Amino acid sequence: MGTMVTMSEDRRAEGQPEQSPWDMASGAFIAWRAGDAGAVDELVVAMTPVLWHVVRAYGHDRQSAEDVIQATWLGFVRLHQTIDDPQAVASWLITSARRGAAAHARTARRASPVQDETLHAVLPDAESAEALAVRDDEASRLWGAVASVDERCRKLLRVVAFMDRPDYHSLSRDLDMPVGSIGPTRARCLAKVRSALMRGGER
Amino acid sequence: MTDPDAALLEELRDMWTTYDPPPAGLVATMIAAVAAAEIDDEWEMLVLVRDSAREETAQVRGLATARVLWFTAAQGWSLEAEIDGDEVRGQLLDLDGDMAAVEVSVETADGRSWSTALDEVGFFALTAETSGSVRFTVRVGDTTSTSRWVAV
Repeated sequence: MGTMVTMSEDRRAEGQPEQSPWDMASGAFIAWRAGDAGAVDELVVAMTPVLWHVVRAYGHDRQSAEDVIQATWLGFVRLHQTIDDPQAVASWLITSARRGAAAHARTARRASPVQDETLHAVLPDAESAEALAVRDDEASRLWGAVASVDERCRKLLRVVAFMDRPDYHSLSRDLDMPVGSIGPTRARCLAKVRSALMRGGER
Repeated sequence: MTDPDAALLEELRDMWTTYDPPPAGLVATMIAAVAAAEIDDEWEMLVLVRDSAREETAQVRGLATARVLWFTAAQGWSLEAEIDGDEVRGQLLDLDGDMAAVEVSVETADGRSWSTALDEVGFFALTAETSGSVRFTVRVGDTTSTSRWVAV
């Protein structure tokens, strides 16, 4: 179970309003800058699961995803003084992780142009896939629907789903789409998932 | 974004969180990586390579009352600092770049610090109440290099 889920369950159990990982991240970052050395751990706890999903959206296998995330954190330690707005620390980390993931994908393609590898990476790991296969619930139907849409849609949706305030300018550069088309593209991609769900439901 | 879109996006987020979660040890690995990187950043960038207190020749050189520390930075330059009572003097050597843009600080463990710029050939001198432990920080443009604490 992801840390993010565990934390939100804890908070719900305590009857506190649920705090998003992005809010936790900026709070921890501000505390860390003010001299609370331990607060950087809270920042890592809040943002690592988010970075995982962002990097996995680029089709990296689990080991490569881990490498990209580690490089993102090392870059953060080196460059955090350059983050002007502490509220933007989550966006900064996500952008940095996306850049790292895209660069890693380019290197990996040059190294081995095997299509199967990238296809394999978007599937859940063996245990989860098995769990999904024996279930016929909403989540497995949703997984099937997402798997049926094109790779570009899948990538866009997964990145956007884990962003607080999507930064369309940097997204447009990274995904090679005009800024104005990201909102409509997202809506179109969601419509594709919705219609795949409906087709699945009729079967 | 319309509400049904927001709701679907949230369902997708839950799905990925549930069915492709990060590996169990990922967060702990990243906490360790950040801690190690911070240590490199804060402590090891200015490395103490020689200390007069550990050398018998100090007296021969007539530096009986002074303590001399030599540090090197990962970027290739070095710092020589002499602490004599309240006087801290020294020189930055082998720096490619503008000496006037460099700031040297001495900090004591109780939180006080003293800073000065270098002159055009890299010398500095400042008055500081050094006692207990001190550490040096050199700022060259955007790069900050800090030594470990040294007992004086």
